[in-house]
Amino acid sequence: MSVSSLASFEYLEGLPGTTFRRLYLQPSTALAIFRRMLPHLDLELWVHPNSKSFDHALTLPRQPTEALSLLSRLHIVHITARTRDEPQVVSLTKAFGSSLRLALTGGGDHQSFGVPSNDSTTADVDLNFLDDYAQMQWEGILHFVVSSAGEGMRQGGQGPTAAVKQLLESGHLVTRARHSGGGITQAGFSFLLQEANAQVWTLLLLWIKNAKEMEMDSVDVLSFLFMLGSLELGRAYSTTTLTASQKQMITYLVDFGLVYIPPSTKNQFFPTRLATTLTSDATALRSVAAGFNAAHTNASAMKGFIIIETNYRLYAYTTSPLQIAVLSLFTKLTTRYPNMVSGRITRESIYRAISHGITSDQVISYLSTHAHPQLLKASAAHGGGPVLPPTVVDQIRLWQIENERMKATSGFLFLEFESQKEYDACAKYADEIGVLVWRSDPKRMFFVSRVEQLRDYIKSRKIK
Amino acid sequence: MPAKRKASSMYHLDVRGGTKIGRDSAVSTPGPATPRSIGSSSDEYSDAEPSESEKENIKKNINSFSVENYKAKQRSHAVAGMDSASHHFGANDFSYLSLKPDHDNRPLWIDPHKGRIILESFSPLATHAQDFLTTIAEPLSRPIFLHEYALTPHSLYAAVSVGLDPKDIINVLDRLSKIPVPDNIREFITSCTHSYGKVKLVLKDTKHYVESSDPEMLQRLLKDEVIGPLRVQGTEEITSAAAPKMTGLVIPGTKNFAGVQQAQLEGAKPKEGEPVQQEDIVATLNEDDDDDEDADAVHHFEIGDTAVETVQKRCLELGLPVLEEYDFRNDSHNANLDIDLKPSAQIRHYQEKSLSKMFGNGRAKSGIIVLPCGAGKTLVGITAACTVKKGVIILCTSSMSVIQWRSEFLKWSNINPSDIAIFTSDNKDKFARNTGIIVTSYSMVAQRGKRSYDSQKMMDFIQSREWGLMILDEVHVVPANMFRKVTSTIKTHSKLGLTATLLREDDKISDLNFLIGPKLYEANWMELAEQGHIARVQCAEVWCPMTTEFYSEYLRHSAKKKQLIWTMNPRKFQACQFLIDYHEKRGDKIIVFADNIYALKAYATKLNKAFIYGETGNAERMRILENFQHNDKINTLFLSKIGDTSLDLPEATCLIQISSHYGSRRQEAQRLGRILRAKRRNDEGFNAFFYSLVSKDTQEMYFSSKRQAFLVDQGYAFKVITHLQGIEDLPGLAFSTPSERRELLQNVLIANDADMDNDDKGDDMFHAMDGKSKFKAKKKANARRTAGALSELAGGQDMAYVEQNKSKNKELKRKKGEHNPFFKKLQRDQEKRRKALDDDE
Repeated sequence: MSVSSLASFEYLEGLPGTTFRRLYLQPSTALAIFRRMLPHLDLELWVHPNSKSFDHALTLPRQPTEALSLLSRLHIVHITARTRDEPQVVSLTKAFGSSLRLALTGGGDHQSFGVPSNDSTTADVDLNFLDDYAQMQWEGILHFVVSSAGEGMRQGGQGPTAAVKQLLESGHLVTRARHSGGGITQAGFSFLLQEANAQVWTLLLLWIKNAKEMEMDSVDVLSFLFMLGSLELGRAYSTTTLTASQKQMITYLVDFGLVYIPPSTKNQFFPTRLATTLTSDATALRSVAAGFNAAHTNASAMKGFIIIETNYRLYAYTTSPLQIAVLSLFTKLTTRYPNMVSGRITRESIYRAISHGITSDQVISYLSTHAHPQLLKASAAHGGGPVLPPTVVDQIRLWQIENERMKATSGFLFLEFESQKEYDACAKYADEIGVLVWRSDPKRMFFVSRVEQLRDYIKSRKIK
Repeated sequence: MPAKRKASSMYHLDVRGGTKIGRDSAVSTPGPATPRSIGSSSDEYSDAEPSESEKENIKKNINSFSVENYKAKQRSHAVAGMDSASHHFGANDFSYLSLKPDHDNRPLWIDPHKGRIILESFSPLATHAQDFLTTIAEPLSRPIFLHEYALTPHSLYAAVSVGLDPKDIINVLDRLSKIPVPDNIREFITSCTHSYGKVKLVLKDTKHYVESSDPEMLQRLLKDEVIGPLRVQGTEEITSAAAPKMTGLVIPGTKNFAGVQQAQLEGAKPKEGEPVQQEDIVATLNEDDDDDEDADAVHHFEIGDTAVETVQKRCLELGLPVLEEYDFRNDSHNANLDIDLKPSAQIRHYQEKSLSKMFGNGRAKSGIIVLPCGAGKTLVGITAACTVKKGVIILCTSSMSVIQWRSEFLKWSNINPSDIAIFTSDNKDKFARNTGIIVTSYSMVAQRGKRSYDSQKMMDFIQSREWGLMILDEVHVVPANMFRKVTSTIKTHSKLGLTATLLREDDKISDLNFLIGPKLYEANWMELAEQGHIARVQCAEVWCPMTTEFYSEYLRHSAKKKQLIWTMNPRKFQACQFLIDYHEKRGDKIIVFADNIYALKAYATKLNKAFIYGETGNAERMRILENFQHNDKINTLFLSKIGDTSLDLPEATCLIQISSHYGSRRQEAQRLGRILRAKRRNDEGFNAFFYSLVSKDTQEMYFSSKRQAFLVDQGYAFKVITHLQGIEDLPGLAFSTPSERRELLQNVLIANDADMDNDDKGDDMFHAMDGKSKFKAKKKANARRTAGALSELAGGQDMAYVEQNKSKNKELKRKKGEHNPFFKKLQRDQEKRRKALDDDE
């Protein structure tokens, strides 16, 4: 399961119950959540032989599983409290059950799956166009994240809008503070390492958090997103049925590349692949650039493209400016050929990455997830050894450690004891319970990592 | 020796860039008929500056031979191919180049600016491409997946010298390349090869001929105002003859050779010592070479012996450097030497390949063959000598390797022991008959000043003769001036340089291209290790943190003292002790290298191990080495940098380096070479170990990464060890208490400058007795007047004899008496030969 859905769930779990009740009024939301949940759960629960209807209550034979507790946190099921006489009972919540039934049977008049626009559709909006559009918008954002480091934007007007830039900054994906190196941050680099789908969710959740400040209804916003996920790619939908906050929101979605609005017909919108895959799982496994390539070419081999040698030279089979920009964060690039770039990892280049807050582990995980099939083949030939040359991996880690000589331990300093005896006893006790970090007998002071037990101990000594 | 080195380095400071090459080539090939006295060639040290005009001429030449000169015109930046990523690459963005449609099946990329070539080693065509690239380009890095090569004028020169045609080079490149060969690269190849190797200087019956397959080229030369008049009068026409063919020449030891011998045995009467003429067995050793050459005829005109140097100089100015070849099979002037490889000697495929480059068209070309240490360079030299079958002179770095070379010759070939003589300070023999082999050392031949009567006589003898082949062992160590001297005083038809590491931190390597010849072959280390010809090695860099006291002293002191402090770092000492202990228990034989003599002695005495450095006497050295090889109680040997080269200890399987010469890549590679020939290398799962101990946070870290560059590019991976598991538990760990460490620090701090001197007096292993003149020079300058007590003269002032740590060396001394069987044999041989000489008279 992709990281993205976990992130979105985490957010959802934090919402109050009333929000859920309102959310589940929309069958599209119920369906979307159901779809997202599926891989998490044993299907047995849903198609339990005894469950004649969704409303049927299940008795739990054993402790609620993690999946069940997740369901209950999402207010999908209701679990009765454990008592002595009755076993625990699980039942679907009313709102979710009825909405899901509506969604599955296709009944009702809720319009939550969007209203196809009946206006004459613009002829030139086809799938390729939408993919290109989405790619351009999204890569523009990624590019901004990457190349805000150092040189600034070289895109020449293709960058994201000011609103998006501000969003990225408030989400601490990039920073403008020059003194800390500027540009991309550690969070930003993690963001880059995610799959496209996860990236979209990260950005959307950031935006939702901000949306509250804009006094938009988060239920409206969420249900709109879930609705987007169930729309059909390449089809025009009408904007007339949307609520006010949803209309406001759609302009942002245009910035993200989730939605395309033809300039000629303002009351139409086309969801792009980024939007329609929001709640599905099948396409979530694509990486940044490969995701788009895989969508219209059979570039399954494109997945791994980096070869790193024991002499720290790095060769990347890529033409994507975005990939090159990512590589340039931690590599000294030297030459670019039509289908390959070469460079080398140096101490300086790693230092530069570290100064942006990118950790050595992130670099290593980026390299290993994008390792060229040849590297994988070689490691398989050696009985599944490490994919990257171990010496290089070690060296990258060591380069980071080199600058981390100081290790901070948070804790508490005890000093000014009344007597040597008191000091000895306390220090001894602290040592016994394993919290003592440092002591200096001549100065009669010591440092502990946790204070609770010691505090009680000292109190009890005082009482005596 | 140190004085000379200095002179040469100053010379190179003064004269920059291309001028070197011009001079070198001019001096390097005086030819046999232009004898030069030792005196005249020693001028080299004084007048380093060539005349202005000469300088300019040569510069012009050099400039026209660099790839940059052929740089394609910069494309305007408005090209559609430019995108946001281009700024990362500056001028090196070649994304505008178009890929061929089937680029997936082709293994090469070519960088149009620098002439760099990147090869996918996992491509199906890679083996073919690799062979081709080693011929036409210089390997830069050869790790596992992607190899890099560089096209240089020299490499192309070498390619042409083995008979490749520029058209073929471009065609093959184009066939292998993912992108069409850029125009400027085409142009570069054509013009380089056009000018290189077209004109050959051939020695035939002691007459020099300028030879070319293109008569127009010769006409052009004849019309030249300088060369024209130099032609020997009487030979009016440009004569032409059939081009030499490889046909019939077989390199001994190869498969073909075995076949030929078979045929000879069956045939009527095989005549030994004559070139083999077997038409049915055509030696097709290198198919890619001279396929089309057979059809051509060559043209030549004769020039006078004295004109050789002028012609060479002039040809260089004209951009037509001449190639030297030796048609040894048709040389009836020089007597043939009765020598052949023993049937038991089988040469390996890479040795065969390297030799086939040398004897590509049936003549001997001069050049350098680069093979890793332990990969059998000596056998290559011997096989070359067996192929040429003329008088051979071999130059080595030390008197010990002189002896080794001779014994190798006796081991691998059927040469009569009286035909192979050695010329060192101890031995000044001549061979019994009219031709033979002489093994000597560079310092013997290049020695300046007065010689003993014997050696002067010997030198006269060497200089008066014409030699078929000169083998130069370990060519990288010897300064260019020495070569110039050697090559100018000894008249030889062809030269073969042998080395493992054709690199120097200074720029003098390019000198060799003109002094000896182009690089003919360079082996791939990793490939040889895979095939089991050299040992597999695990390399590790051990980071030893500095103790607080040592680090604060380190920060305070001068650069020189710093070096001693990081070498004597107690943590490093402990690491060294731990590793020695660990590997001795595993049954390894360990060599520990320390450049610093003070450290060497301190480590060795503290750990009670044997050690050898420059001042160790020859007898003592022999005794220690013998014990190291055969005594299972002596498993560790400390060596100063005298042991870096030409030390053959196949027993050693583990190597620890505690101090080294700054960032010298060559030293690192040479030291690694000490364990590459490990006897046990073909044992299942055997690994040799190479540790480099580095004090953390000191400059040593920086040097260390520089030093490793060469090996890393060969595909070796250095693992960093930050902590040795179990080091604290080692019983008897040295310097484990603070007071011991403080004492060590005190000792280090009071160590005087002389102790810290890194320059070991002896130049290399077994060299102590060779350089007599050097010690003499030192003594002369040392008259000084001081005030002092009488006890000082007696050496009694504040001196007390205390032996705290007994030297292992002295322990070994007691077991005196027996000689190495090898030396016994050597003595017997000598006596025999003397007897033979006496009998003749």
